[in-house]
Amino acid sequence: MWEACTDVACGNLFAWLNQGPLTLTIFLHTVVVIPMFFIYFQEKKRLEEGGE
Amino acid sequence: MLINGQLKYESQKLAMNYFRVAIVLFGAQLLMGLIAAIQFLYPGFLFELFDFSVARMVHINALVVWMLYAMIGSVYYMIPDETGHEAVGIALGKLAFWILTAAVTVVVLVYIFIQVGSGSESTIWFINEGREYLEAPRWADLGIVAVVLVFYYNVFFTYLKSEKKTGIMTVMVANLFALAGLYLCGMFFTDNISMDQYWWWWVIHLWVEATWEVFVGTLAAYALIKILGAKREIVEMWLWIEVLMLFGSGILGLGHHYFWIGTPEYWWEIGALFSALEPVPLVAMFVHVLYDWGKEQGHAEAGGADTAVKNSPAMAWIASNAFGNFLGAGIWGFFHTLPQVNIYTHGTQFTAAHGHLAFFGAYATILIGMMYLGVQGAYGIKKMTMTFKSKMALFLIIFGVLGMTVALTIAGYEQVLVERADLGGGWDAFFIAQELPWYVQAQAWRLVMGIVTLVGFVYLAWDLLTIGQEVSQKESESVAATA
Amino acid sequence: MSKKSASVWTSIPFWRRSAAWVTGVATVLLIWLTFDTMGQISMGSDEDLKNGVTKRIPAASVINYHIDYQFDDKRGHEVPVIGEKEPFFGKEWSAEEAAKLLHLGKLTSQAKNCMNCHTLLGNGAYYAPDLTKAWLDPKWNDGTMTGITGKASKEEAMAEFLMHPSQYPTHARMMPNLGITKEEAVALVAFLKHMSAIDTNGFPRNFSQSAKRLEGGTHAH
Repeated sequence: MWEACTDVACGNLFAWLNQGPLTLTIFLHTVVVIPMFFIYFQEKKRLEEGGE
Repeated sequence: MLINGQLKYESQKLAMNYFRVAIVLFGAQLLMGLIAAIQFLYPGFLFELFDFSVARMVHINALVVWMLYAMIGSVYYMIPDETGHEAVGIALGKLAFWILTAAVTVVVLVYIFIQVGSGSESTIWFINEGREYLEAPRWADLGIVAVVLVFYYNVFFTYLKSEKKTGIMTVMVANLFALAGLYLCGMFFTDNISMDQYWWWWVIHLWVEATWEVFVGTLAAYALIKILGAKREIVEMWLWIEVLMLFGSGILGLGHHYFWIGTPEYWWEIGALFSALEPVPLVAMFVHVLYDWGKEQGHAEAGGADTAVKNSPAMAWIASNAFGNFLGAGIWGFFHTLPQVNIYTHGTQFTAAHGHLAFFGAYATILIGMMYLGVQGAYGIKKMTMTFKSKMALFLIIFGVLGMTVALTIAGYEQVLVERADLGGGWDAFFIAQELPWYVQAQAWRLVMGIVTLVGFVYLAWDLLTIGQEVSQKESESVAATA
Repeated sequence: MSKKSASVWTSIPFWRRSAAWVTGVATVLLIWLTFDTMGQISMGSDEDLKNGVTKRIPAASVINYHIDYQFDDKRGHEVPVIGEKEPFFGKEWSAEEAAKLLHLGKLTSQAKNCMNCHTLLGNGAYYAPDLTKAWLDPKWNDGTMTGITGKASKEEAMAEFLMHPSQYPTHARMMPNLGITKEEAVALVAFLKHMSAIDTNGFPRNFSQSAKRLEGGTHAH
């Protein structure tokens, strides 16, 4: 199932996450996008409480 | 374009000097391109006198340098408007301009007359570095760093002095820091070609697909306020959205250059999806420019005026930029950004097609627009309208570059299918594909369209020199008539 | 402006913070990835070659070995295969000699501006053939260029060609004479041989299939 060695590298985090179509890139996109929800709700709260 | 008469700030007068050199180098770029295009069809042309490698080197270096000149000029032009102050170190700024121009002249003369050196460090220091786009010899690299430090000092400390820090200036200051710093990644030598190209792309990609794009976003924001009187809140909100999307896709989009240069396979995925998203902000920029234009035009008409546009040639070039950026950088880039496609298109005329339309659509257009804004300021014109020459320049240059792009795309397709997919690359495969009629015809059309572009450039240069005088005369006559 | 709006979508602070976050995290990821890649693309050592350790970029002394480019079933594309020892310009080069030679070759490739006609690893100009796997090109192996230059081995033929390219034209589009010395030419050949041993993830694909199919002449002129 999980391939420990992709291309010529073994035991490498990014190579390990790269397990076939899109696994690595979707992971990285998720890391980038998820915290934006937090920023969104924090800003919403601030605006509703009367921030400028 | 020859006078600065009506400009109040020294910073803006300096900007005009940058624009003047930029337009000369733009002309040089087109002439060199013409020589290279002729050599594709008639390889004996200037053989062993002025070879393709020399013409091509000056072609792409003139391109980068005229754009940097126009970019520095644009920033010097907007500093007083955005900060309300003269640039803090203007005397130093002027000195830096002359040093840079002298250095560029020497570098170009060495390129043209000395061309190549022996395989030694001294060639890298004094003749050329032999790395595409970054050919400037090491001494010139150091000079560029010094000049850029002066420039950045002016931008940063004038920004600090301003009472109200605008969003446009904030983005400009932060982005220029990254833009200037990245140049350092291209200034070392290594025996390892993969390492070499890894860092080389840090400069090239993180310039043209990240920091330069954000730079264009800030210029467009400034220009929309200046030309249309667009509302600052809206423009600056869009600017932050553009920064978000451009850097979000562009920084890791760097991976699409790391598919085949010896770097690990995991770059396939990173490069593929992040760079596939790079067109998204370009769509947003296009929508934004048209939205503001339409909105301000509506307001103007409701108020009884005929147009909201205070500088129609600049607006025409900026609208061309909005669409050209999307088409050249976005569509033509997306064509070959996925590794499944790129394994065949990498290193073919496909890249050349994309390069031509992207540099033109994303950068040349808006920088020409900024030059028209400069002319308007220099002559104190209230409302600048297009002359016949402005229209000819706009039409011929756009038509010419689009024509070259289409021709090179066809050449690229032929090369991809025959040389790469069918024959698998290599010496014979390369020349078989180069000699097929479809490829040769495409190269012929590229030459024709290149000449069209050059004629358009002549109109452009002529117009920039004369439009200020023409329009300001008309304006004062009409004022006299109504009085 | 009317009373406080609760729409975040038109809030400049929201977009500014988001832009800062995304830019920051993308930059951090890129730097992290760069450190990882640096480890993988730093040049291997002479010992790696002796012990058969696969490196993406082998040591300069790879010029002492036979290099091939073969399809790898697991990876789904061609990869360089480093084989038995073979003489390079008639001798075996020590690790130091090879490194010095590669250094001169790389310097010369820049000094002579190769990249503004050719592509190296696919990057450069498109006026002349890609040099990534030039060392493996059938043109040097099938007797064509050794015959034209009258040299016994392909490395000698390559060096001779590089020194006097326009004396051995194969097409109307020729390589110009760049004043390459004998020493520089040998170094350039070493540079090319080393480059052909770099693991380029299968670029160029199906390299030089034409040679097998078109044996006995091509259909172009």
